[in-house]
Amino acid sequence: MSSQNLFELSQVAKRFTKGKETISIFHDLNMQIKEGDFLAIMGPSGSGKTTLLNLLGGVDQPTEGQITFDGQRIDNLSEGQLAKWRANNIGFIFQFYNLMPMLNAARNVELPLLLTNMSRSERKQQVKVALELVGLSDRASHMPSEMSGGQQQRVAIARAVVSDPKFLLCDEPTGDLDRQTADEILQTLQLLNEKFGKTIVMVTHDPSAAKFAKHTVHLNKGEFVKAEELLV
Amino acid sequence: MSNIMSQSTAVIVMNIRSLPRRLWMSLAMVFASAVVVAILLAFLAMAKGFEATMQSAGSDDIAFFMRTGSAAELNSSASKEQVNLIENAPGIIKDEQGQLVSPELYVIVDGVKKSTQQEANIPLRGLSQRGVDMRKGFTLMAGRMFTPGTDELIVGAGILREFDGFDLGQEIHFGKYTWKVVGVFSTGGNVFESELWADAKVIQNLYNRGSSYQTVRARIGSPDDIAAINDYLKSEPRLTHEVQTESAYFATQGKSLEYMAIFGWVISSIMALGALAGALNTMYTSVSDRAMEIATLRAIGFSSMSAFIGTMVEAMTLAVLGSLVGALVAFIFFDGLNASTLGGSFTQVVFSFQLTSDLFVKGITMALVIGFISGVFPAWRAARVPVIVAFQSAR
Amino acid sequence: MKDLYLVYKNLTRKKMRLFLTTFAIFIAFLIFGAIMTLRGALNSGVEMSADNRLVVVHKTNFTNPLPYSYVNKTQAIEGVKQVTHANWFGGYYQEPANQVVTFAVDPESYLEVYPELVVEPTQRNAWLNNQASVLVGERIALANGWKVGDSIPLSSNIFSHKDGGQTWDFVIAGIFSGAEEKTDTSYVLFHYKYFNETQSWGGDNIGWLIITTLDPSMNESVAKAIDSNFANSNAETDTSTEQAFNKAFIEQIGNIGLIIFGVVFMAFFTILIVVGNTMVLAIRERTAEIAVLKTLGFESMRIFKMVLIESCLLAFLGGLLGLGAAYLLIQVASEYLARFLPNLVLDQSILLQALGYMLLLGLVTGIAPAISALRLNIITAFNRG
Repeated sequence: MSSQNLFELSQVAKRFTKGKETISIFHDLNMQIKEGDFLAIMGPSGSGKTTLLNLLGGVDQPTEGQITFDGQRIDNLSEGQLAKWRANNIGFIFQFYNLMPMLNAARNVELPLLLTNMSRSERKQQVKVALELVGLSDRASHMPSEMSGGQQQRVAIARAVVSDPKFLLCDEPTGDLDRQTADEILQTLQLLNEKFGKTIVMVTHDPSAAKFAKHTVHLNKGEFVKAEELLV
Repeated sequence: MSNIMSQSTAVIVMNIRSLPRRLWMSLAMVFASAVVVAILLAFLAMAKGFEATMQSAGSDDIAFFMRTGSAAELNSSASKEQVNLIENAPGIIKDEQGQLVSPELYVIVDGVKKSTQQEANIPLRGLSQRGVDMRKGFTLMAGRMFTPGTDELIVGAGILREFDGFDLGQEIHFGKYTWKVVGVFSTGGNVFESELWADAKVIQNLYNRGSSYQTVRARIGSPDDIAAINDYLKSEPRLTHEVQTESAYFATQGKSLEYMAIFGWVISSIMALGALAGALNTMYTSVSDRAMEIATLRAIGFSSMSAFIGTMVEAMTLAVLGSLVGALVAFIFFDGLNASTLGGSFTQVVFSFQLTSDLFVKGITMALVIGFISGVFPAWRAARVPVIVAFQSAR
Repeated sequence: MKDLYLVYKNLTRKKMRLFLTTFAIFIAFLIFGAIMTLRGALNSGVEMSADNRLVVVHKTNFTNPLPYSYVNKTQAIEGVKQVTHANWFGGYYQEPANQVVTFAVDPESYLEVYPELVVEPTQRNAWLNNQASVLVGERIALANGWKVGDSIPLSSNIFSHKDGGQTWDFVIAGIFSGAEEKTDTSYVLFHYKYFNETQSWGGDNIGWLIITTLDPSMNESVAKAIDSNFANSNAETDTSTEQAFNKAFIEQIGNIGLIIFGVVFMAFFTILIVVGNTMVLAIRERTAEIAVLKTLGFESMRIFKMVLIESCLLAFLGGLLGLGAAYLLIQVASEYLARFLPNLVLDQSILLQALGYMLLLGLVTGIAPAISALRLNIITAFNRG
């Protein structure tokens, strides 16, 4: 794998102040994520998984250090710039799907496209492609409440890829699903990684989910354990 | 039965414990119910106060004569000859000075209202000491009685309260005539307090009335004497008058603000519909908020009836709580509030709002209706929460 | 607006709540429209008064009569253009409860002083030429089902006919309408001369004078001239502009009018507060969804606008329906109340005020949740699970 780094985190520190106490999550975190990778991040609760995810997703910013994405620094962007950056570059997949309950599947998938200049017909076309990709073409007009958890998560995946971002960020994507459905979802992610070249970072505490990734890193108390694995 | 009772009690306690979770919604319902009740009571108290002011003025043992069709004292007339004929009517009580009869005049003058600084109509009544004696509850609060044949007058306490320039000792100009205020009188809060009183003969003179009067009051033994007097009036072609007890006359006059009570009912009913929409929202929120708890209770064997009753009690409690607040607010702001308006005789009637206990009952009934309707539909939904909800994830 | 569909879906996600909230706003604006119109009708006498018309009444009170000779004496005063007069008849039709406002007037000059009373020329001539005829206002005719040519008995609760009784028989010579929608046409006019000759009281008295001045700027000086002209006579006068006179008359209803409107406005605002509370909570419930939208890259400002548009749409939905219902209600009530009140008109100013309140309701109820959406920290909203 000689492809270049998509993400680079150097000397990242993150601290929270809670009342009088200062809690340090990371003090010196360094990390590279190569383009085309499928990386699983594991670790016990409190290890800093979620904070790392927030930093990678551009919903939170580091206290110190630099984060670059595709050669561009994102740690110094304003809130509005970050929103645009997220819309252009990142697809999110959440544990609880986070579909809008009042919108049907197609309308849910369409949401990120509302942030582009696409025409209505272009949007429709894109939504159709995305739903075909996750195998839910026949459910386009169903409401989230009419679908199973697995189906809802597929809609969520379709929403994440519909605007064709380079990078997918998954937060416990199978945490709420049974084994078989979970495996199907993970296969879909694998497909997106291998066939469509999406770079994927997945936070999970499920070892069998992590097996679907190309690499796995373990986070504990804000530091990577067995960091040498990253170099493989 | 006792089972349902104890189950319901448990549910009610849980509902009340969980109220803070829905604090704003619940407060909105209390507030809505309070305002509906306060508004209803304001209108009812207004109508009640006006009616009481009128009705308490009338006596059952006074026969009141007005020209037929005149509807109000202002429009009536009675010549000297007609007054003499009326004195001869049967049933009128006599004393050593003769028949107890009071022929009176009723003219309108302008006074400046304190509240608006605008001129408004005030009645100036011309009468004699005999007429004054016929008013029950008459007391001189200050000063003295007017001297017959002079330009002195006494003012009612209501006029003093609502109008400028009628203080004791002051001179008043009506047109080019000047009057002097020599006394202030009370008649126990009724409509006569909204009047100025002076000697009838002086008013006849100043207002070019010759020897004629407008209305006649006469003391009778009992209201049953009216029928005989009526026969007498019909048999006497020179009389164009009709008779009724004074209390009957003022009862009719008192009804002239009844439209206020009707208006109050209409407005507060329409408002109640609006409040109901808010209250239903509150209760539906409450049920969906507690769906998990309800289902859990049902799963361990509570009946759906207890879920129903629990929700009903919550709705009724909030509504009644609101009505108590509303009634209290109405009591503080409206009970005893002084107001004045045009009465049937085209003159200002000074009265105060009266919030009586029967009105409170009406207000609370209104709140109970709101509480019932806003409770029953959500309670029905609560009773039908499927048990399976208990086993679904918390989200 | 690509987001309108989202707004629409948010608005309609809970049908029951949408219905209840809309209904409450509907009620609030129904009350608002109806009450404002009612108030407008009560004040229409003030609003519709001509700026160069003065009313001359007896100084003691306007129910006291003035001598007829004042008509000519007033005409002679400088600055006075036209003079006419009227007497209160105290009229009713068939039943004493069925009051008919009736004035005995000098026909020709009265119609000149009140040019807003529109009569067909043939009907006008018929009335002028027949002393025992009446000219009837459109609304009072409608209320009693009268037509031109009908014979109607009008009774007085004050005066007696010299032939005995208190009833006069009249023929309806014409029906007058108003030049404007709000012009009061709920009364009846007949000949003063005929009135004076047929009533038993006698005395060549008139109730009050209405005059026009050559120019509104002369109102004050003319009023002063009239009052000083009759000072120290047996009947001193009080002259005021028509507007001031009508205003004072309305205010005789007194503070109960104030209290009623105060109470009703309280009702209006209460409903708005209760509804506003519901709307705020409805949007609060969606914190997690708003966080998701933000994470997907929706900018804060955009979500802020969506929330505001939603609350405004709701306010206008209920509000316009309520105002429409008020309009219909008023059409019906106006006919029903023809003998008590001048025309009920839900006019432009009421409409504009209502629209203003709707916008205010939408903005006020939307702004709090919109701001919290704007400020919503995605991290905290999210990690709640």
